[in-house]
Amino acid sequence: MISLAGTRALPDRRGSARPERWPLVDADRASERFREVVLPHLADCLAFANWLTGSRHDAEDVVQEACIKALNGIHGFDGRNARAWTLTIVRNCAFDWLAKHRPKAIISVGDLAALDDATQSEGRAPDESSNAESELIRQAESAAIGAAIADLPHVLREVLILRDVNGFSYKEIAAILSVPMGTVMSRLARARARVAATIVEAQ
Amino acid sequence: MAQPVPPSDDRLLLNALVDDELDAATTILLERRLEIEPDLAVEYRRLMALKERVSGLDRPPVTRGFEARIGALMTQRAKSLTPANRSGFYRNLSALAASIIVTAVLASGGTYLFTTSHSGFSIEDEVAGGHRRSLLATSPVDVASSDRHTVKPWLDAKLGVSPPATDLAADGYPLIGGRVDVLGAETVPTLVYRHNEHLITLMAEPGAHGTVPPSFEVASGYNIVHWTEGGFAFWAVSDLEQTELEAFVRDYRSS
Repeated sequence: MISLAGTRALPDRRGSARPERWPLVDADRASERFREVVLPHLADCLAFANWLTGSRHDAEDVVQEACIKALNGIHGFDGRNARAWTLTIVRNCAFDWLAKHRPKAIISVGDLAALDDATQSEGRAPDESSNAESELIRQAESAAIGAAIADLPHVLREVLILRDVNGFSYKEIAAILSVPMGTVMSRLARARARVAATIVEAQ
Repeated sequence: MAQPVPPSDDRLLLNALVDDELDAATTILLERRLEIEPDLAVEYRRLMALKERVSGLDRPPVTRGFEARIGALMTQRAKSLTPANRSGFYRNLSALAASIIVTAVLASGGTYLFTTSHSGFSIEDEVAGGHRRSLLATSPVDVASSDRHTVKPWLDAKLGVSPPATDLAADGYPLIGGRVDVLGAETVPTLVYRHNEHLITLMAEPGAHGTVPPSFEVASGYNIVHWTEGGFAFWAVSDLEQTELEAFVRDYRSS
């Protein structure tokens, strides 16, 4: 008996524009849409989740969970920014995962307010005469850069990763995090200042 | 000599410059300041160096194993929506319920009012179920006639739509009548043909677009050939062998 369970058994029906009430056809369409919307961004998802969870193994679990949510909610995608939509789901899943598995790593709301306070200065003053710090940063081991990023609180880390690893614009990051653009900017400035300071101190 | 840390607004501007997020006017102003304010320039170079390093960090690869895991999600989702994942208990229960309903409906002599729209059954199972129920009935048709001029007008009158109801007796498939079946929540004109001792149920769901060539499937123990043409999505279902059923479909389509 031929199994009808897989998506494989259904290509003959794509051209017939059937009504959506058949669950199997519905699943087939969701899979097709998921393939177009989410799958192209798996590498982005993994890179982002990897930095948030701290391990590739956990990142894969988070992205898998996000894919299940994306597949189930694919009809809610508005068709505009597939990558940002996908990463928003990954981000939410990552924080759910962190709350469950690393509850102490999540920063409290009070601390968050302090982090968003743009008037606070961060790090030491750079040494003007020699540009020594930029050189130190350029020559630092990748592992040292990675360790400095991993040392950031998650709310700062995610902004830095979304910007410099995933390459999202400020506007996109603001949408993904549901925060004002000014918050994105101050968190990003703070994240970079901290990472630079950590690298320099470690040398 | 240590310089004062640039004020926070300047730091935000420098970051935005590094990220290419500033408009042209602000960029020009800031670039002029960078030429005359060494502490700003130092901070700018520090940010540039950092950005280069962070964006150059290795990204974890998408392994084939992980791709397969994600691919399996789609298959699992499709499976979860077919009867394959329903427990034996519920399958038996729904089969029992089906037979009770069929008995009740048949006892009243009515047509088949059997709704399974949200039960998770695939359409093939519903098609096969329609065929099976017709076999259990005292008569598999609501209008018994080999005359297309009887069957088609009867379906037209009932549903306002009917597929071509050609008698294929010359090909070995006499038309024995028609009935109204229910797929999901929709009423579907259905023709019944006979081949030797076997019945062939041909459901024709209106409102389908395009043309899709016949494909063979098996559901709930019955053979099914499905195709789309002429505005109908057709399902031919029978316990005939695959080759015989496909031969019937060929004859019906060429008639």
